[in-house]
Amino acid sequence: MKFKKKSVMLVSFTVGTLLLATTALADIASKSGYDELKGAIKLTTEQASEKFDSFTLDYSMALKDNGKTLESSNETLKVDRTKDASENISSGLSLNGDKRSSQSYSDKTTMIRVSENDPTYYVTEFTKERKDDPFTNPFKEDEAADVEKIVDAIVGSLKDHVVVTENTDGSKAITGSLTEVQIPSLVNAVASFQLKQEFNNQNSNQNNSKMPRLTKDVFVKEVKGSAKVNADGVMESILGTAVLSGKDEQGTVHDISLEALVKVTGINTTTVTKPDLTGKKVVKDIARYGDAEMSNPEKFVGKFKNDIIIEKDSKFVKVGERFVDITQIDGKSVEGRYYSEFKPGFEEYATSLSSFKFEAKFEQEQKTSANFEGTNDSGDKVRGHIYLSEYEGQVNFNIDNFNGSFGRGLMFNSSFSPVLD
Amino acid sequence: MAVFQAALLNELEKLYKKKKVLVAILLSLAVIVIGQLVIVGVRSGFGLRGTGSVEFPMLVLSVVVNTILPLFTALVAIDSFSGEFTQNSMRITLTRPVSRFKIYTAKITSIVLFILGALLLLLVFSLLAGFIFNTNSATLDSLGRTVFSYFVSLLPLTVLALAIALLANIFKSGIAVFFVSILTFLALKVLGVLFSQYSSLFLTTQLDWYNLFLVNSFPILKILRQFLIMLGSGIMLFTAGFYIFDKKEF
Repeated sequence: MKFKKKSVMLVSFTVGTLLLATTALADIASKSGYDELKGAIKLTTEQASEKFDSFTLDYSMALKDNGKTLESSNETLKVDRTKDASENISSGLSLNGDKRSSQSYSDKTTMIRVSENDPTYYVTEFTKERKDDPFTNPFKEDEAADVEKIVDAIVGSLKDHVVVTENTDGSKAITGSLTEVQIPSLVNAVASFQLKQEFNNQNSNQNNSKMPRLTKDVFVKEVKGSAKVNADGVMESILGTAVLSGKDEQGTVHDISLEALVKVTGINTTTVTKPDLTGKKVVKDIARYGDAEMSNPEKFVGKFKNDIIIEKDSKFVKVGERFVDITQIDGKSVEGRYYSEFKPGFEEYATSLSSFKFEAKFEQEQKTSANFEGTNDSGDKVRGHIYLSEYEGQVNFNIDNFNGSFGRGLMFNSSFSPVLD
Repeated sequence: MAVFQAALLNELEKLYKKKKVLVAILLSLAVIVIGQLVIVGVRSGFGLRGTGSVEFPMLVLSVVVNTILPLFTALVAIDSFSGEFTQNSMRITLTRPVSRFKIYTAKITSIVLFILGALLLLLVFSLLAGFIFNTNSATLDSLGRTVFSYFVSLLPLTVLALAIALLANIFKSGIAVFFVSILTFLALKVLGVLFSQYSSLFLTTQLDWYNLFLVNSFPILKILRQFLIMLGSGIMLFTAGFYIFDKKEF
């Protein structure tokens, strides 16, 4: 009898262990629908940013109130990586009822924009070939892995709501839907509070907005999503719908739904064509900004000035002029003198920072801005920052520790315009 | 069977005579009242709906299944074993003409019945509160899923009771068992977040397994796997616990 009891216990313990071990292994090995969805998104973004030579990305979004469209936008992005060119066509309806539609084209050397209500083609030509990757992989960012972990933890038990159905041709359909019972109450409360604030803030910014103002009984009613993954594992389309329900001041129930659809089509078959500008109204400009190297820095040699202004008896009074005199400049460094000239009777405003020489080396990346260190007449060090703006034709000159002078109503302006006459 | 019934009745009576049951009932009701007050506060303060009539019991379940239910399971299980070991009243139980297996089973059964009672109480009162104080959002489907969720929660809680009974047989002191249980519980919770891909193996995650029954598509394979994991660990824990209980000298 004693022996029998022992063996029964041994058997049942072994059975329990085996049962636990096998199902645990099966559970870890089984790929949930959520994992498949994640895998498909990762693969698609990776291929889109590295492997595909060309593709078309369609993105459309609609915001509806009880079925009536409040806001919508459609965007088509065509990317041709072999030519480094991309084309973007976008149209939409804004919350206050304005329609918009515009088109843009961009390649290494040009950027062209045109919109429906202004048929002028704005062309920007770049003096240098720029490196512009139209689509970067967000999963390659440094913080992506951490963000993924956090998202996994938040999604938690909702993972099981993602269902995968496999078709005979190897493609898959991934679907998921959550209704109010299935959304955890806390998630629902936080999400609906967030959305309510968001919508109501938008409302107060735009006067003639058609957006209903929800004040009572706001809750997330439904969240749905579906995605199509082709036989290669690339996601061809993903559709998401979320419905927020609530009542406005009058007690009318509004179901506000947000639908978003992203489609990837024309993989390796998309062609991007440069708009034909013959016979069109064209405004051209040459890109100065965004161009790291200045073509002819000598143009900045000379005097730049602005007015010294104080506030006196509730009026602005000019008490003198500040000068930045650049004496020497090349691609590496800039040298010069800063001084102030006060009108007679206002000399008392002169401080120890009113006059000094400076010398600065340009920063590596940006050849137009530099931190300088100078010495004033009494031998003290003065630090600050100089920025040569090609775009405005001005010099921005900032002195650290200038705050001391504000007390006496002296104002400081960091933009200096060239003295041309 | 008659012997087992007598042993079970004996255990249930001991359980009933203790103040813990009353405290459990009061705390459960307090959770419902506080929960409902919070919902009403959120509704009038922030303009959110909070929960509808069926979501409220789900909210209550999601809170209690991770807090007071494991706590009371632990208290009752510890009391049933460690309490009797230290008071030496276990000897009296053992002098009866009942095998140790039957005593152990009767003790576990009484704990399970206690958990079931607590779940039923919470279900009935949270449904009542849900329907009285919240806008009606019930459909037959969601109501059925809610009731079902309460019942399936019994299984992970039973496994938890078995684990604590095992601990109570290993350690002599009830306080030690209590602290070990709480620390393990918290550690598993944290591990479940850190290693979310393995989280379905942890008992603390299985406490939330009722969520699987809410999924529209009814993921039968996943439910089966979870059920087998719990069954396997349940058998192991029961056998191990009984083995020690059987070998114990009083």
